[in-house]
Amino acid sequence: MIFSELYNVYYNAVAKILAEAVAGTLDEKRLNEIVEQAAFGESFLTILPALKAQKWQLLHADRSTPLRHSPTMPLTELEKRWLKAISLDRRIQLFDLDFSGLEAVEPLFTEEDYIIYDQCNDGDPYEDAEYIAHFRLVLDAIRNRYPLHMVIQNRHGVPVTMNVLPEALEYSEKDDKFRVIARSTGAAVINVARIRSCERYRGGRLRVSAREPQMRTLVFDVTDERNALERTMLHFAHFEKQTERIGENLYRVTLHYNREDETELVIRILSFGPKIRVVAPESFIQLIKERLKRQKSCDL
Amino acid sequence: MAYSELIKNFDRVRDYMRDFYVYGFKSRSEYDKKSARSYDDERRRMESWLGDYMGFRQTEDGKHVFLSIDSRLSRHNPLFRAWKTKSFTDGDITLHFILFDILSDPDVEMTVGELCDAIHDDYLSGFDEPMSFDESTVRKKLKEYTGEGILSARRIGRSVYYSRVPDAELECTDALNFFSEVAPCGVIGSFLLDKVAPEDEIFSFKHHYITQTLDSGILCALFDAMHRKAAVTVQNISQRTKECKEFRLVPLRILISVQNGRQHLLAFHIDKGCLMTLRVDYIRSVEIGEAFPEYDSLRKWGNRIQAHLWGVSAHKKRSTLEHIEFTVCYEEDEQHIPLRLEREKRCGKVERIDARHARFTADVSDSNELLPWMRTFICRITALQMTNRAVEETFRKDLEDLYRLYEIDGGDDG
Repeated sequence: MIFSELYNVYYNAVAKILAEAVAGTLDEKRLNEIVEQAAFGESFLTILPALKAQKWQLLHADRSTPLRHSPTMPLTELEKRWLKAISLDRRIQLFDLDFSGLEAVEPLFTEEDYIIYDQCNDGDPYEDAEYIAHFRLVLDAIRNRYPLHMVIQNRHGVPVTMNVLPEALEYSEKDDKFRVIARSTGAAVINVARIRSCERYRGGRLRVSAREPQMRTLVFDVTDERNALERTMLHFAHFEKQTERIGENLYRVTLHYNREDETELVIRILSFGPKIRVVAPESFIQLIKERLKRQKSCDL
Repeated sequence: MAYSELIKNFDRVRDYMRDFYVYGFKSRSEYDKKSARSYDDERRRMESWLGDYMGFRQTEDGKHVFLSIDSRLSRHNPLFRAWKTKSFTDGDITLHFILFDILSDPDVEMTVGELCDAIHDDYLSGFDEPMSFDESTVRKKLKEYTGEGILSARRIGRSVYYSRVPDAELECTDALNFFSEVAPCGVIGSFLLDKVAPEDEIFSFKHHYITQTLDSGILCALFDAMHRKAAVTVQNISQRTKECKEFRLVPLRILISVQNGRQHLLAFHIDKGCLMTLRVDYIRSVEIGEAFPEYDSLRKWGNRIQAHLWGVSAHKKRSTLEHIEFTVCYEEDEQHIPLRLEREKRCGKVERIDARHARFTADVSDSNELLPWMRTFICRITALQMTNRAVEETFRKDLEDLYRLYEIDGGDDG
C-alpha cells in the first residue's frame, strides 16, 4: 500500500534519532535539529513530547535507547516492484547500475501499461554508446565540479568548441531530451545529443560567468467556457503563478516565466484560442498580434 | 478530534492540495462541501508540510490560499510530502522499531511468543510505565509486515518463525533522483531516497507536471490490476455533473500527457461493451476484482483503437475516422517549422509540398482534439480541410474571435 506509515516522515526522523542514540551521540541539540531537518514544520510539537513522555517507548529519559542496532528496514515489495519497473525503462542505461536481486520481482508497470501520447518523437538516443558516455561524463563533472571541453554541433550542423562548467542536467518530459545547464563565457544550454566529443578540460583557469535566468511576468485573462479554466490551470500548473477571479466566468492569471521560453509560451497561449487574452506586458501582446496579422494575411 | 499534522485518509488532502495548487483562487467560503473546521485543519497541515510554497492573498471575498511552485526550479516534487503523512498509533511506532531491532539480521528467526517475550523483557521493561503488547497485536503487525514484503514467515511444524528479508544495497541515488520525478508513481522513488544519504541534486525538470503524484495511489491499483489482467470497480466523479458513479471496467493502459498535465485510463466498459477513457484524477477509488478471461484480446483491440487517437477521446462509438489536413508555410531559413511538424505529428503524416510549404494529414477518432495543437501554427496556416465540418468551423470561428480580441483588422491594429 502506497499510503502507509512505513514511509512516514516521523518514522524516518525517529530512525535518525535512534541511530544517534545507538551511537551515543544524541544530545538535546541534535534531537531538535533532526526533527527540524527530517520532518515537517510542526512535527516538533508531536515527536519530541511523544519521545520524552515515553508515549513512544524508544528513548529513555537520559536519551539512551534500548535498541542495539542502528535502525534499518528492508525494501518493501512495493519499492522493489517500482525499482524493477524502472530497471526496464530504456533511460536506465544512462546509469551504470546493478539490479541483481530483483530477478524474481514482478515490475509494478511495464512500457505496455502506459503511454506518453504527446511526447515529441525525436527524443534522445538512450541506447547510443557515445551518448551514454557523454551523459555519464557530464554527470560526473557536475557531481565533482570540474569543467569540460566539448565539441557540439550547433543547430546549423556546424561544429563549435566550448569550455563549460556544467551545473545541472535538465530533462524535458515533453521533448524527451536532456540539456546541460552550464556556465561558460556566457550562459550555456547544450543538448546532450548534440555533443560530438567531450572530455575533462585540462587548460588554464577557466573564466565563467554566472547564469541568472531572466524572469518575466505574463498576465492573462481566462474566460471559463468549454472547461477552459480547468484546462488552463492544469496546462500552466508547472509555472509559478497566482490566479484571481475578476468577474463572472473571468479569471486573471499572473505567471512568471523564463525569458528563453517566451516563444514557446506564445504558442502555448495561442493554443487556447480566444479563451485566453493576454493583458500584459505590451511586448508579449505584440508578439501575439504579429502572429495573428500574419495569419490573417494567409487568407485561410 | 484534536488537530494532528498526520492524516488517516489521503482522499481529502488529495482534493485540497489540487485545489490550492492548480486553482489557488478559491476563498475559504467556497470550500462548501467540507466544514470550515475541516478547511482550517487542511490548510494548517499543508502549511506545515509545504510552508515555503504556500501563499496567501486577502481580498474582499476573504483569504485565498494558494500553492505556487515553479517545478523547473524545484528539483524534487514537494507534493511527495503528502504521501509521507499517514497517521499511526503510539504502539505502531514503538513496535516497529523494536521488532526490527530484534530481527536485526535475516538469520534471526523467532515465533510470536518469543518476540513478545523479547519485546517486554529486553526493551520495554526499562521504562517507568512499560507498554504492553499482547500476542494478537504482535501477530497482526507481523502479518501486516509480511504482506508488505519486509518480513518473511516460515512454518516449522506447528510454529511460524518470522525473520526480516535481506536488506538491499541502494547505490543508485542519481537514478532515483531522476526516475522519482519522471516515472509513474515516482513517489515510491522518493520513499527510497529517504533511505539514502542526501547528495547534491543534479537533475532539473522542464515541462514537469507535479500534481500527477496525487493520483499515485489510484495509478498503483490500476497497474496492479493490469498486471493481474483483472477487472476493476471504480468510483468516478463525473466531470459534468460532479456526481460519483460506479463503473465495472477492464483497465488496459494509462495515457499520460506531458503537455497538459492529465492522465487518463483507457479501459473496456464491461456493461456497455465499449472502450472508454476516464481522467485518473477524477477516480475516487479502485477495487480490484477477478481476472478477466479476454484480457489479452481486449488489450490488442485497445492498441488498434489507440493508433488513431490524437489524445484520449476513445469513447465515441464512431466507426469512421475523421480526416484532417492543413498546410503551413515557412521561409527557407525556418526549417524548424517542418521539423516541428515532424516531431509532433503523432499518428499523422507530414509531406513537404515545396521549399516553403508542408502539409499535415491525419485520420483520427476525434479531430476536435487537434485544435489546440493546430492553433500553435497560427501565423502560417494557408489551407485547412476537415471532414468534420463542425470542428473546422470551430477553428475558423475561434480565429475570427482572436482577431477581434486583439483588434486585428486587415493587418492594422484597431
